[in-house]
Amino acid sequence: MTGASMPSDVLESPTSEPFEWPSEGVTRAPYRLFSDADIYALEQKRIFRGPVWSFLCLEVEIPKPGDYRTTTVGETPVVVTRDREGQIHALVNRCAHKGALVCLKKKDNVASLTCVYHAWNYELDGRLKGVAFRNGIRGHGGMPADFKTEDHRLQPLKVESFCGMVFGTFADEIDSVEHYLGADMSTFLKRNLGRPLRILGTHSQIIHNNWKLYAENLRDSYHATLLHTFYTTFKVNRLDMDGGIILSDRKWHHISFARRAKMTEAEEYTTSNVHSANYDSALAGPGLLEAWDEFDDGITHSIQTVFPNLCVQFTLNSLAIRFFAPRGVDKTELFWIYLGYERDTPEQADMRVMQSNLTGAAGLVSLEDGCINEFVQRGTRTSPQHASFMEMGGRQVASEKQSRATETAVRGFWHGYREIMGF
Amino acid sequence: MGWHMNEIAHFSQERLDPSVRDMVEDLICAYAFALDDEDIDRWPYFFTESGVYVLTTKENHDAGLPIGIIRCIGRGMMSDRVKAFHTANIFEPHSYSHMVSRPLIGRGPRQDSYVARSNFQVIRTMQDGRTELFATGKYLDSMVIEKDAARFQERIVVLDSRQVDILVVMPI
Repeated sequence: MTGASMPSDVLESPTSEPFEWPSEGVTRAPYRLFSDADIYALEQKRIFRGPVWSFLCLEVEIPKPGDYRTTTVGETPVVVTRDREGQIHALVNRCAHKGALVCLKKKDNVASLTCVYHAWNYELDGRLKGVAFRNGIRGHGGMPADFKTEDHRLQPLKVESFCGMVFGTFADEIDSVEHYLGADMSTFLKRNLGRPLRILGTHSQIIHNNWKLYAENLRDSYHATLLHTFYTTFKVNRLDMDGGIILSDRKWHHISFARRAKMTEAEEYTTSNVHSANYDSALAGPGLLEAWDEFDDGITHSIQTVFPNLCVQFTLNSLAIRFFAPRGVDKTELFWIYLGYERDTPEQADMRVMQSNLTGAAGLVSLEDGCINEFVQRGTRTSPQHASFMEMGGRQVASEKQSRATETAVRGFWHGYREIMGF
Repeated sequence: MGWHMNEIAHFSQERLDPSVRDMVEDLICAYAFALDDEDIDRWPYFFTESGVYVLTTKENHDAGLPIGIIRCIGRGMMSDRVKAFHTANIFEPHSYSHMVSRPLIGRGPRQDSYVARSNFQVIRTMQDGRTELFATGKYLDSMVIEKDAARFQERIVVLDSRQVDILVVMPI
């Protein structure tokens, strides 16, 4: 894989220059990757329609038979349904007749799926039920005699639920989601999401950059305290500078975690008081950081990515899914799905609500991520032949449990990307 | 507030004291001009000490979901946002131009409290000159009269769209 040339089918356009990964490997990412339309198109095929599990929605979004929720896998429109037996299905949202979108709303509850164009009607599992005017009108028109409804259906994806999340894939042969994640990743997802969930709010952000820049940004633990200075500005006593990076077995996914330093685990933090994790700060409105210890592992902040475009954040008690959908080579929609647990007390839910101010489109701690990737996009788009330099923490692609001053998870992303793209 | 602010659209025909309408309209107008003038330091003082500012989306608001985009409870949290704007947050310089409709005003649940609803459009101009429609939506306000001036007890800003372009660092 190292230094391999781009396979010939990449460059169908006569204007494309040959692509070659720099010999330094994953410590470099050629800027061309962020603005080349041919590479973007190939990613849709090799990644999003390839051997990955894509996040589709949460099970709680489609609790009842007949519920559907539309989304995208890469740029492909997909609808997730729950049938009358409670089974979840994922279907390409494209009528088998002329290709129109079948489901138009974000969410709905329906008895069956009907395309508005010519009223082709599908079961909730995507099988074609009926075709309007199949036998024509007054003996004229109609489908040919050999037309069979069973020859036509909405294209299915394979689906699997894990920790309340519904994943889908176009791949025929792929391991279960749990195998795709690996042991460390699935254990940590169970820690964070493995109980009944409640959606507390959602919004999205349009960020003007290639989707991979956000994938890098999430894995870039090096920038955290350099770009994002809210905690230091307000002298927040974070007590959590101890931390590290865990890569999945195949390096595609990662966990970045911060832990309260053990030396500061004084008696005031071991009481069962729900406010036990209050943070000293220079905030005029300290209610922002009212928090409680949810887990006994001491981890106070974590970011977990799942290749290609999913992230789960746990910032103090602020639990959220970030899902970033490519909307073109230089445009990405970043969805924020803020979560709590069914079991939360009203007081705990209130703390999650207040802490939601830390992240999101107006996040006090991290709003810079809305523009920083665009700055890279704008800085690099005229320099496709140049490449980034990523040797912080060394050149290896390995977990680093003692420090977050490393780019190891970003190298891990490129390791996985090269593997799946064949670059 | 315990009652649905949207209902103000069907509010009674009862005439308000014209001086009250003046105070309420002046508050709504001064708020918008302060933000347009990038005089963000004044922003918390349009609210009472315990005032509430919420920026959310129509989707969240209609579903009764508590997490939107910004939630400040009390002037302290607002001044923290102002301080973060000046010293912590990094963003490309830009300015707003608010276009706010004439508010519909009604009496609130308490003596000297009022409610109002107005529409807004915010046009954002980036430092490179790019000028675009940034946000549209409605203000759902609850106000009290303090020392012959109106202040917001609660301002719920409901964006029509679920999407924010780039980021929000200045309140709307």
